[in-house]
Amino acid sequence: MKTISNDFGVKIKSALARFLVNEKWTRLTVPLFCIALTALLSSILLLILGKNPLTAFYSFLAGNGFAAKAKYGAGVGMISDFFQFLNIMAPLLLAALAFIFAYRCGLFNIGISGQMLLSGFLATIWVGYAKELSGGIAKPLVLGIGLIAGGIIGTIVGYLKYKFNIHEVVSTIMINYIISYVTGFYINSYYVDQVSRSSKVISTASRLTFTKTMVLGNYCNVPLGILIAIGMAFLVRFILERTVFGFELKAVGSNRNCALYTGINVGRQIVYSMMISGMLAGLAGVTYYLGFTNTIIPKTLPGMGYDAIATALLGNASPIGAILSSVLITIFQNGSSYMSSMVGVAKEIASVITGILLLFSACGQYFRTVASAYLRDLAEARPVRHESGEEGEENELRP
Amino acid sequence: MTDQNYIVEMKHITKRFPGILANDDVTIQVRQGEIYALLGENGAGKSTLMSMLYGLYEPDDGEILIRGRKVRFKSASDAADQNIGMVHQHFKLVENYTVGENIVLGIEPMKKAFGLFPYVDMREANERIRALSKSYFLEVDPTDVIADVGVSTCQRVEILKMLYRDAEILIFDEPTAILTPQEVEYLLRVMRELRRGGKTIILITHKIEEIKRVADRCAILRRGKLIGVLDVAETTTQEMANLMVGRNVDLQSRKTEAYFGEKVLEVDALSVRNDDRVQVVRNVSFDIRAGEIFAIAGVSGNGQTELADAIAGLMRVESGTIRLNGRDITRGNIRERTEAGVGYIPEDRQKYGVFLDFDLCSNLCLRRYYKAPFSKNGILDFDAFGRYADELIDDYDVRSAQGRKTSVRSMSGGNQQKAIVAREIEEHSALIIFVQPTRGLDMGAIENIHKQILAERERGAAILLISLELDEVMELADTIGVIYNGSLLKIAEASALTSQEIGQYMMGVTAN
Repeated sequence: MKTISNDFGVKIKSALARFLVNEKWTRLTVPLFCIALTALLSSILLLILGKNPLTAFYSFLAGNGFAAKAKYGAGVGMISDFFQFLNIMAPLLLAALAFIFAYRCGLFNIGISGQMLLSGFLATIWVGYAKELSGGIAKPLVLGIGLIAGGIIGTIVGYLKYKFNIHEVVSTIMINYIISYVTGFYINSYYVDQVSRSSKVISTASRLTFTKTMVLGNYCNVPLGILIAIGMAFLVRFILERTVFGFELKAVGSNRNCALYTGINVGRQIVYSMMISGMLAGLAGVTYYLGFTNTIIPKTLPGMGYDAIATALLGNASPIGAILSSVLITIFQNGSSYMSSMVGVAKEIASVITGILLLFSACGQYFRTVASAYLRDLAEARPVRHESGEEGEENELRP
Repeated sequence: MTDQNYIVEMKHITKRFPGILANDDVTIQVRQGEIYALLGENGAGKSTLMSMLYGLYEPDDGEILIRGRKVRFKSASDAADQNIGMVHQHFKLVENYTVGENIVLGIEPMKKAFGLFPYVDMREANERIRALSKSYFLEVDPTDVIADVGVSTCQRVEILKMLYRDAEILIFDEPTAILTPQEVEYLLRVMRELRRGGKTIILITHKIEEIKRVADRCAILRRGKLIGVLDVAETTTQEMANLMVGRNVDLQSRKTEAYFGEKVLEVDALSVRNDDRVQVVRNVSFDIRAGEIFAIAGVSGNGQTELADAIAGLMRVESGTIRLNGRDITRGNIRERTEAGVGYIPEDRQKYGVFLDFDLCSNLCLRRYYKAPFSKNGILDFDAFGRYADELIDDYDVRSAQGRKTSVRSMSGGNQQKAIVAREIEEHSALIIFVQPTRGLDMGAIENIHKQILAERERGAAILLISLELDEVMELADTIGVIYNGSLLKIAEASALTSQEIGQYMMGVTAN
């Protein structure tokens, strides 16, 4: 017999391992485990810096309207912060959905930034600067331009892949640069605001966010985009899980040879999936440039296009998972300024925490494999013997 | 004779894989400086046995002795330390490196320029390679780039790689499968040279002719068991073939009288080129009637798979026509052909036959998901999926841990195959193509699939059976076509051919 403490250690480890490999819940437990690890590691980091991690985490929540701040300015409150959080989350979620749609078909769309920028730019110059359009006409037009512009870029990428076997990563990176410089040139030449050095501000009517709207006695920026984004998440889920089109798309993503054997038109599926991915990225672009902001900084690709990849992967490349992961990522990114002012560490610490989170979530499958290997070894070392005390695993996770 | 004369001894080796006993108490002893052949059909356990000698697997039971000393190989590098080298069937070469660079890769001769800057001394390496290649008649130019040289040269490079590493025991895994007859000739000469140079060679093959020409002794494996070790000089080809194939299992009685109907498949002057622009199917013509099993026998890699792929629509036809029930389907896409009545059980079941990450239910419905009642207006109906899947799982006895929800990846190969067979047979197609339907399956599963093939024949389907197992062909076929190097050398009624005759055609011998 081993010592008691040793035995206890084995018990904890095996409980944790079982928690991770549980067939039914693994899609939830592995990300939870990653989040717990992140919280643990970032707490250590903050402690080393001599700061209270609890205050930091509280400030992240307060910065997004999930908790009360110490004091608010005139006319704004918790709910204002919450709407600002939704303002950022909307394009991030749409961009993540764009990535997921291509990814499930086995394609890696890293051109989301460019697709966002182009659709945002076109919507800005065609609708945003048309002062005479009323909101009821301008807003649908903005969305339509976003869909079409993004969709066209996506289709081009898909077609290049299908017809000439040009890898989508290469073509999207190239197209990103082209879009960035071409739009930058036009903004600097024709649409620049001489003071801010970015593009001129769009009309209020065309903006997808209703600014300074009174909600419960507070001024809020109410985003239309969040409804679209959440709606799209469920639509994408429906397409992927319930339709023939989605079935074929996932088939191509899962095994191209077998998809061919099944009789699926693989090339057409690739083009369609890139097109729809581009359309979602286009929607992300207009909710970002004509919603969250109202101007475009020339020659700058939105970093959100890349954050979206991480967000999508953190959410297991599932649309509903993406809603949860974009909430989480937005909390860290949007809450960073307030956290920084409250705790007194550089706001870049938020990016560090996001980075840690992504690092751990990228290792999710690894954790799961290690856990199941551990359980197997345990079963081999002590056949049948180990069958007691598997409850209470939830406690092991919380740091 | 003492044990000292044996350089390699594998005693009472047993190796199990899930569902398969790959090697069952096999003992072989190889003498220093001989060419020792391992003969057996596909799946007889030859490669598994040699993989254990090369350190890729560890035996479950038994022991391996090298030069009389007991060894345990945990990896291929352990085997390399004992001067064992293997020439794999699929070359492991860096395409854009030169012959010389490929050979020295991993053990580069290092020098230091000005006593400081390390660099690889390719000049010295190339000298050594030239010397080696001269002494064993292995003609290569060490400065050629691999991408520019042919298959046969690649193989020589692989052999030189072993020699450069001072390998004393060389294992050749089916080395002639990809070579032309002239190249085979050349390789056999190289082997004799190597033997003269004192090397020990273990040759894995199922070509008796080659064994007869170079090998000293020959061990015959069948279904994982060692059948016997023969002195090649004192044994006829006939005897070896008999031992390799074994007596026919008496399944013939189960086969009912043939009733052939109309012509279902007509293939006329079909030629196919593969991705490397090599013509792999050459001017092949044959017909299959309803209720007929047409089997194609041949050594692996002679164009069988490509022929099946071309009929199913996975490979483009270069010339010739394919007709199904009188309708030209030569240019039709895959779905058109499936709808017209082509069922296909592919050779590589995990690459083509199933989506490993999908559940069993989806995989069983792959031929129907886009049609009512499985979907309406593009929306899938999973209830219909489930009902159909459960029906097939029941009827065809597909076993899995969680029924139709099981991920196919977690199922055994036999059950994956059962699922594919169930799916394809259930379409009741006019033509069903079976390629290697029983590869890697255990006896029970094999019988089961054979029964189903015969049942389809009785129903009146035309069946194209492509198999590397001669006894399978003999058991099931009504008509046999023998393929060699992409051409059908002989088409005849099954009853008119003996397995020895087929074996000869398989090796390309036509004058008979």
